[in-house]
This record gives sequence, C-alpha cells and structure tokens, in this order.
Amino acid sequence: MTNKNNVIVRIAGAAGDGIQSTGELLGKTCSRMGLHVLAYNSFQSAIRGGHVWLQMAIGPDKQYDHGEQPEVVLLFNKTSPAVHVPDVKQGGTIFYNAGSIKKEEIESLRSDVNCYGLDFKAMVDTAGLTNVNSVMINVMLAGAMVQTLNLDPKVTLEFIKHKFLKKGNEVVELNNAIFNLGFEWTKANTKPLDLKLKGDNNPKLFMSGNDAIGMGLVAGGLKFYAAYPMSPATGILHYVSTLAQSEKLIVKQVEDELAAINYVVGAGNAGVRAATGTAGGGFCLMVEGQGLAAMAEVPVVTVLVQRGGPSTGVPTKVEQADINLAMSGNGEFPKFVLAPKDLEDCFYQSARALNIAEKYQVPVILMSDFFLSEHFGTVDDLDFSKIKIERGKLMTSWNSSEKYKRYAYTEDGVSPRVRPGTPGAMHTVVSDEHNEYGHLMSDVEAGLPHAREARVKMHAKRMRKVQLMIENGDAKPPVLEGDANAKTTFVTWGSTYAYVKSAISLLEKEGTKANHLHFTDIYPIPRNETLALLKKCNRLISVEANMCNALCRQILTETGFEITEHINRWDGEPFTGEYIVKELKKKSIAEKQLVNA
Amino acid sequence: MTANIIDRKERPAIDPKAFKGEIHPDWCPGCGDFGVLNCLQRALAELGIPQHEVAVISGIGCSSNLPGFINTYGMHTLHGRSLPNAQGFKLSHHDMTVVAVGGDGDGYGIGVGHLIHALRRNIDLTYIVMNNSIYGLTTGQTSPTSALGMKTKSTPFGNPEAPLNPLTLALGSGASFVARVFTGNPKQVVEIYKAAIMHKGFAMIDTFSPCVTFNKVNTAQFYKDNTYDLNAKGHDTSNLESAFTIAMKIPDGTEPIATGIFYQNERSCYEESEKETLSIPVVDHELGISQQRAKELKARFK
Repeated sequence: MTNKNNVIVRIAGAAGDGIQSTGELLGKTCSRMGLHVLAYNSFQSAIRGGHVWLQMAIGPDKQYDHGEQPEVVLLFNKTSPAVHVPDVKQGGTIFYNAGSIKKEEIESLRSDVNCYGLDFKAMVDTAGLTNVNSVMINVMLAGAMVQTLNLDPKVTLEFIKHKFLKKGNEVVELNNAIFNLGFEWTKANTKPLDLKLKGDNNPKLFMSGNDAIGMGLVAGGLKFYAAYPMSPATGILHYVSTLAQSEKLIVKQVEDELAAINYVVGAGNAGVRAATGTAGGGFCLMVEGQGLAAMAEVPVVTVLVQRGGPSTGVPTKVEQADINLAMSGNGEFPKFVLAPKDLEDCFYQSARALNIAEKYQVPVILMSDFFLSEHFGTVDDLDFSKIKIERGKLMTSWNSSEKYKRYAYTEDGVSPRVRPGTPGAMHTVVSDEHNEYGHLMSDVEAGLPHAREARVKMHAKRMRKVQLMIENGDAKPPVLEGDANAKTTFVTWGSTYAYVKSAISLLEKEGTKANHLHFTDIYPIPRNETLALLKKCNRLISVEANMCNALCRQILTETGFEITEHINRWDGEPFTGEYIVKELKKKSIAEKQLVNA
Repeated sequence: MTANIIDRKERPAIDPKAFKGEIHPDWCPGCGDFGVLNCLQRALAELGIPQHEVAVISGIGCSSNLPGFINTYGMHTLHGRSLPNAQGFKLSHHDMTVVAVGGDGDGYGIGVGHLIHALRRNIDLTYIVMNNSIYGLTTGQTSPTSALGMKTKSTPFGNPEAPLNPLTLALGSGASFVARVFTGNPKQVVEIYKAAIMHKGFAMIDTFSPCVTFNKVNTAQFYKDNTYDLNAKGHDTSNLESAFTIAMKIPDGTEPIATGIFYQNERSCYEESEKETLSIPVVDHELGISQQRAKELKARFK
C-alpha cells in the first residue's frame, strides 16, 4: 500500500437533489481537518431539473486543479450513470442511489470500477427512522464518502450539529443517524481505498470567490454596495447582505444596473467607499456610469464577473472575454482594471481596488469569472492586518480664504477632494467638460478659446493619472513564476492561473520545464517592465478561456508585443492541468509534422 | 441615537442671496427654469438650511444645468440618472438636504424606471421635475408629456402618442408626497417646495416650467389662463382617491388645471429601516474591520 494522500471526487445529480449539501458536508469535513479542497460546480441556469455535478480535489497542500477523472463518485439520479461513469478513473469507486439507479446501468458501461448501491428507503426503514425526507439521502451518501475516504466522522457530525441545531435537536439526531447508516454500511460492505488524507489540523476557511471578494471589500472599508442580481456576481450581493447589520453597511438591491452604478457614484461622491457588482450584460448598462465616475472624478469599484457571452450568453459557464468591455466607454478616461487569480487574491485585490479608486479618484473594475467567483476552496488565512485603508486626497475641512477648486490643476493630476457637507467649499461635480471649479465648458462656452484651453488641460489632467499609476508602482507588471530559463512560458490572467500552475507541475513530472507569466493588472500595464519580461521568455503561449485571445490583444495594444501561440477553451468548462498539457502536446506534434513535411 | 432618523430643525431664515451661484444661467430669456431656481433658493433660505448642507443633483437637459447656478453642493450627472445618484448620495450622508432636479425628458422619459422605484422606496428626497412638454436642449422634439397631436421636430405630422400622466403615475407608485405647481405663481411654488423639503420621504413636484423657444402650446399664458390652486379650494391632501380623481384630468386646457399639493402621507421613510446603520451618517463611520471582527467573519467559513 502506498497510501495516496490526495483524491478527486465527484457528486452528481439533479438540481434540487441536495448535492450541494453533500459537497458542503464533505468540504467542511476536509477543511476542518486542515485539508485543502478545490471544488467546481457545474450547473445550469435552472432551479430544479437540470443535471448538476460538483467535482472536488482534496489533498494536504493547496489544490490548484479539480482534475479530469474522478476516483470516487456519488451518483444521485437516473441521468447520472451515462454522464459520469465513463469519466471515472480505472479502478475507481462509485456509490449510487439504489432507489433510482440499477447496478446494471453502471456495469454495462464499465467493468473496471467498483460500484455500491445504497438503498436509502430500505436502510432507514430497517433502522426504524421516522420523519425522513427523501432528500436526506445526501447525508447518507456523505457518510459513505467520509468512510471510504477515511476521513474523521466526528468532524462531520460536529458540522451537522452546527448546521442543523437551529432546526432543533431532533433534526440533528435524525441527520446523525442517517449519516451513520451510510458510514457503517460502507465500512461493512466495501473494500477500503489505498488512501490516507491527512490534514494539518488547522481548520481552513472554506469559501467561494464571491465570498472572498465580498470579505475583501468589507475589509477594505466598503460602506455601500448596490447591485442588481445577475449570475455569477450575485453571490457578492448575498454575502455582503449578511453583513449589512453587523458591519453597518448600506446594501441595496436596486431596479437595474443603471441604477446600481449611479447609486454608487452618488455614494462615492458623498464620501463613502462604494462598490457594485455584475456580469457582462449588466456591465454593458454600467459603461456610461464608468465614464461619469472618471469625468466627475468619483472613486467607485465595479466587480465584473465574466460568464459566457455575448448577450444573455451562457450564464453559468466560464469565459474570459470581457477585457474590451471593461476597457470600454465613450471618450478617453483613466481607470484601473484588475483581475484576481485565486481566492486569497480575490480578498486582497478587492481591498486594493477600493484604495486605488480613492487614491486616484477613478473607477476601478475588478474582473472575476464564473469559475473564480462560484467555485469553493480552502484558504489557510486571510490577513486583515495587511489591509491599510488609504483615502488619498480626501478632506473634511476647508479653511482657505480662496474659493475651492474641485478640479484644481495639480502636478500629479489628482485634485484635493473636499467631502460634500463641508462648510465653505460648495461645488458641483459634473459629467460635462469643465474648468477647475467644475463650471461647464461644454454648453454656451464650447469652442471659445478659453474653453478649448480648459478642455485640453482638464483632459490631460485626468489622463495624467494613468502615467501616475505606473510611476507610483500602483499599476503592476506581470509576475514571472518558475524557472526563468524554461523553454515554454504560459501567459495567463484571472482564474486560469491555477490550471496553468497545475499543468506546469504535470509537465515537470514528465521532465518538461515550463514557467508562467501571470497578469493581475490588465490596465494600465507598465510598458517597459512588461516588455522586458516578455522578451526574456523563449516560447510564449497564452492560455485563455475564450476564442479571440482577449489578454493577448490587450498586451499588443499596450506594449506592441504580439503573442502568437494560444491555448483556448470556450466550451464553458474551466481548464484543467491535463487539458492544457494535452493541448501543448498537440501543438508540438503539429509543429514536428510541419518540420518533417 | 436619535429617535428619528430624519430630524427637521426649526431654523432662522437666511438671505436667499447666499444661494446665488457664480454662474449666470444659460437658459433662454423668459425660460420657466429661472422661476424654479429662484423659488428653490428662496425655499431653502426661508427654511434656514445652510448652503453646505444641501446637495442639488440633476441629470441632463436644459433644466439639469441648475446645480451649476446655485451655491450648494451638487452633482450634474447623466441623462435620466439624477435619482439613483441622489438616492446613493442621500443614504451615504442622510443629514444633508438632497434635492434632485431635471426635466420631463430626464425624469419621465429616459429615467422613468428609476422614478417609479424612488416613489415606492420613499427615501427622504425632494424631486423637482421642470416639465415643459418638449425636449429643449436637443432643439424641440416630442417629450413624454407632449400632448397628443402636438407638432414637434420629431413629430411633424403630430404626436401619435398619448401623454404620460406624471401625477397618476406617482400616486399609483406609492408616492408619499405629490404636488404640481406652475412657475408663474412663485409664492405658491416657494410654499410647496418648502413643504416638500420638510416632508419626511420622497416628495415629487411636477413643475410647469414653460419653454419659450420650442413649445408654443404650453406657454406661460396658457398656464396662467388655465390653472387654479386646489389647496385653496379645501382639497383633502390625505385622500388618495380624490387626489387620483383630480390628477386624472388631462391638463390640455379643456377644463381648469389643478395645482397644489395633491397628496401627502407621512408613511415611514426608507431611512427608518436602516436606523442602526444611520445612527450617524455613513460618511462618518470608521472604515475597516477590527481584528476581533475579522476573526468572527472568518470563523463563519470554518
């Protein structure tokens, strides 16, 4: 026995079967044992009836990949065998709901796996349990899973108690009993796996990307969140709503995304830290508001969680094709576009977004994607003490005898910002072009010599901020990770970071060295430092969840450097390390064939 | 913590000149919007609200230039978006007096979705719509309140659409304060603006503010000849049904056009639902999370 220390499991069923609950029981058991978990939900935009599954990688170290072939599988409903049995790793284990699936349905597909049916109804009847709801099979299957993975059942039972206590002791007892039925049955009737999952006993945070974004915003001083529900950004609204009372936040679900962005511009101008969040379609409605924030010089943060597009597109699937959208708006204006790469980064970048929005008095767009926002995973810790709230040139008093100029020309392009409500500094922030006082240069004065001069100077003042972001080191170049002399460099942004990391370690096992250039700051991109890094690499291959290489086009626009090799995926599923390695090999074979021809 | 989130202080009147802006309005001579500006300045001065405690927030259009002409804080935002900006601002700094202003195109056309929700939400704002039944800044197209058959640049053969009725819309959307005034009666306008500002909740005042350049139908003379003050006639402002009955009459001059407060009810304003958070204005909250709170937030995920 080699005692493997990691495993990939899959749980599949109909939406409404409770596979999320099983996933939660399992995930919490692992994270509380100090194991690391990465779980990806594959689901549809349906509340009931769609077929859904969850794949989870478990191991002692940080998990970067939910993998391709599951080793242990739970199947809940009739659709499950045909979809999932072919994927199971050779020699893998399948537990199924014997009430809806027949053993032959699995055995006709595969003979090289072990399969065990749990007859929920018979088992609870034999045990004499009453008040049982059929959906509770998810607790029984969790029991089977905990036993087969050799996890600590006490930890699961503790979590069941925590989860159901508010429903009363009887509910806790019933769930315990059902869990134990699954656990004991599995102990008595199945072959133990060659598996030893050992955590470090330090409970981890088990959370989604949207949770981490919401927590980062709140840690960064968020006071105002307005949004309209839209997958996959809604989780942020849900999370910050739970904190509205305890942290004294204003959280508003408003009538549409036009309202959401304009609510936060109003709040940002009043002087609070304000953010909104949406997906691509909603962001389309917010584009004019981004320009307003930039023109009026009001700090706001917009979380743009990408999903498959265009139009309504594929609401619950992965795509990274919205860089052009994040960059869009009429006219030219300064902004930041950031894309966190994993759960920790979601937390820290969200707090950073609020700081730089206020420091530069600009809109900041934080780009996530379906995978990053909706997946669950473990985090060792989030260090709130690392977050320093910096409010830039915000002032709450004005004692000068001079009339206050909201848009004073300054060397760095950022004007002192007096908070509305302050005596003696009355002014109007405006969406029209204006002079230093905020007086309009756009209507009756447009085209007059002094208005032309003001237009040139004020536009330059705003755009000066882009250079300033780079000079200050607030706009960061990409980071090169791994062996600097590697022959192949993968170029990534956002959630593909993790899969490329996984692909690199798979390649290393085969003796191939590759490294990794990852972009967090999508705009502005410091040109010289970025070019130097790009030129240092031997063979650059981008990995993006899109067809048209959004990041490469952004790099080309910002630096003039063209990346010509790409690995793309746009079927809606996230990459895996294996997928990337396979694509890389295909490229190499194609190249050899070209050379030989 | 104050018992009432919205606290209306009695204050001595101040000089209306204090509200005079540095910029002379760029409206056409004779534009009704001058009347709105003067009356708003007088209302604020008579209520004794200092300039720095006021924010005037507009959208886009001739009338939306108003914040530039008044000496208060202000935001001149996007077409149709005065109300979301004003609501976001107000909830962040609720002890300021927030007045949203704009035209009929801004509020009843492109921004009407926000209006309906602002009415039912009942955040403590005053919303003045300068209604001239025409698009002025874009040089004379039909507006949501243009009369059926009215000839404009975009409807040279007559407007084929029935006009929107802002008052029944407001009453039907859960408004807590609905009024209509005509700039030709400044005394009434000042009184009603004052009542609207003092009202705890969302107050909408549809204000006939004639366009002298592009609307030759709804002129100052037309309103002078056809309006009357319903409050002088003993209208019960707490009676929603009779407010509806009067509001349903189409203001085309076939019968007298009512002005005044149609309806007012002191239902709880939105801010009352956020009592804890608004015990001090959100702008004055300390930012960030203490280490102890951080631990608690993280514990929920363990």
